[in-house]
Amino acid sequence: MRHPDRQFEPTPDSVRASAAHAVEHAIVVESLSKTYGDLIAVNNVSFKVRKGEVFAFLGPNGAGKTTTVEIIETVRSPTSGRVSVFGMDVTTHKSDIVPRIGVLPQGFNSFDRLTVRETIQYYARLFGRRTSDVEGLIDLVNLKDKRDSLFVTLSGGMKQRLGIAIALVNDPELVFLDEPTTGLDPHARRAVWDVMLGLKRKGKVVFLTTHYMEEAELVADTVAIISKGEIVAIGSPGDLVEHNANYMYLTLKSADSSAIDAVTRLDFKPDADSRGDVKIKVSTTEDVEAILAAIKVTGRTLPGIDVRKPNLEEAFLSLTTDTGPDAHRLRRSAS
Amino acid sequence: MTPRIILANLMVRLRSLSRERSAMFFALAFPVLLVLVFGAIFTKPEHLNFDLPVQDLDHTAASAKFIDSLAADGLFKAIPVPADAGAVQYAKEHALTLVFIIPRGFEAAQVQRLRQGDFSASVAATYVYDPSSTSVTTKLQSLNAFVAAANQQMSGTAPFITMTAQSILEKKYRFIEFFVPGIIAMAIMTSSLSGALNMNAELRQKGILRKLATTPMTRVDWLLSNILYQLILATLSTASILLVSFAVFDVRLDINLWLPLFVVLEVFAFVGFGMVLTPIAKEAESAAGAANAFLFPMMFLSGTFFPVELMPPFLQAFARALPLFYVNQGLRASMIFADALVAAKCAAITAGVAAVVFVAGAMVTRWNREA
Repeated sequence: MRHPDRQFEPTPDSVRASAAHAVEHAIVVESLSKTYGDLIAVNNVSFKVRKGEVFAFLGPNGAGKTTTVEIIETVRSPTSGRVSVFGMDVTTHKSDIVPRIGVLPQGFNSFDRLTVRETIQYYARLFGRRTSDVEGLIDLVNLKDKRDSLFVTLSGGMKQRLGIAIALVNDPELVFLDEPTTGLDPHARRAVWDVMLGLKRKGKVVFLTTHYMEEAELVADTVAIISKGEIVAIGSPGDLVEHNANYMYLTLKSADSSAIDAVTRLDFKPDADSRGDVKIKVSTTEDVEAILAAIKVTGRTLPGIDVRKPNLEEAFLSLTTDTGPDAHRLRRSAS
Repeated sequence: MTPRIILANLMVRLRSLSRERSAMFFALAFPVLLVLVFGAIFTKPEHLNFDLPVQDLDHTAASAKFIDSLAADGLFKAIPVPADAGAVQYAKEHALTLVFIIPRGFEAAQVQRLRQGDFSASVAATYVYDPSSTSVTTKLQSLNAFVAAANQQMSGTAPFITMTAQSILEKKYRFIEFFVPGIIAMAIMTSSLSGALNMNAELRQKGILRKLATTPMTRVDWLLSNILYQLILATLSTASILLVSFAVFDVRLDINLWLPLFVVLEVFAFVGFGMVLTPIAKEAESAAGAANAFLFPMMFLSGTFFPVELMPPFLQAFARALPLFYVNQGLRASMIFADALVAAKCAAITAGVAAVVFVAGAMVTRWNREA
């Protein structure tokens, strides 16, 4: 796991090296803070996003995700710190950065009385792009059958896919997708994932903000977790799980009381569910071997066992426990 | 400023408008309907024609001739009431507000006066009326004037005082001609202010402004495209009002360069007010309330529907503090009275208001998401 402080410690040297970062990094965030009066929304956040990677930004509601993303997108300005996109400062180079990024905002919405094609054409014109490319984008997000439907008549999934098409209308090098699958059914969600994986294959940088760990695990090269306005972990999904959920779950199928007693005698805490399956949190494979040996001694046989590594969701919960929405409102006095 | 972006915005707004029937109605059809409705109401006095139930108890050639003369100048249309009916009961049963009764002996008294020179001969006509009726007073005034003229004629002498009317205007104007400039000003005000306020609030609430902020569009592009859109709407609305007024009521006003000047100034002023009010209206629903709270006093107190001189002095002073008052005055000065001095004064005041409010509105319009 790369801890944010170890990953990037801003110094005068590092500031001078920003141009060098730009070669390999699409985004460099250095000691970023954003406050609203006494409320600290983002507190001394630093991270980098490499070119060509899918970067997932996770965090509970109100953790500071959207504020951070909006500063990188140039629509908010930081209170302190420095953010650069492709080596350019977001506060002074908005007009240079905007043509190179695409944004799907959270809860994307558009003009009710425009059709799918007209909506994409409109955004293409804003970016000075050829409107002849519109059909390709419609195909990309699989909205061919709806190209002449008004926006107001589209389902939630279709609207999100249209939003993704619009985010790509200027052929951006960096795409921000803010909760692109929230509220979508499983089919629509998978369709959006396919689009994201397609972008990854094309070498685009994707900055994904999501609540869905499965989504981040599936598509992201790097995951950053923000909580209470601070980055609490950053690394690949595998690294995060390895370092923050360093245990396994052993499940004994239809275990009887003598098996449970044997497990308890080994100082493990078995957790039986309504179907009679018993779930035990263990640290190593030696623990699994010890439990199975103890059950064998009782002379009982088990219909089945299951050993499972925890996933990113468990790592996330471990990192953000006791940081519910109310806890994210850090006060200046408390920092 | 990027013309390509301004044009793209403009096309989106116009296309959306063409597909939104209610928006089309309020932007273009509603002011025209107002002209038609108010025009129909207020042009009626020009061709006043009252139904006048008349009970002829004399039933002679002289009484019949008198009844014909009632209708001769088009003021009254005599409706016969049966001679055997009780007039009061008949008026109640038929919901009549006025019944004129010609008594028996009408012809005999007339003969006595005109042929025998007996100027003491007279008849006592009666009218039965409903004092609770609001329209009966006007009818009675007209009837009394008619009877007075008949008496003067029967006296056989020339009238001592005769009246000659002389208008301060070169042409004779009807109420509808005074009304149309007010409706033009009101329609532009409503569409500019509501358009700017509702659109900004709705797009912000839906998050569309948030998305647009991540495109190359600048605040200047956004403001200019909104102004252009409102100018097109104002031009269409003004042209519709003038065309319908001309086609239906034969309204002929002086169309000169003052008209486009006032249209442009009014659009800037009220789009500016809309932008100033936008931060107050957090959502689209409250935007409608804020717009109405601003528009209604302006509409009724600044001389759109009736002259401010009819209002109490303190309200007249208040009216002179309203920007729409100067647009109304200016349009009437240029379109009716051919008074360039008043038009110029009103244009200058409107331009001053427009400059201040539009700049203030542009400054409070949030483009980036800064709290």
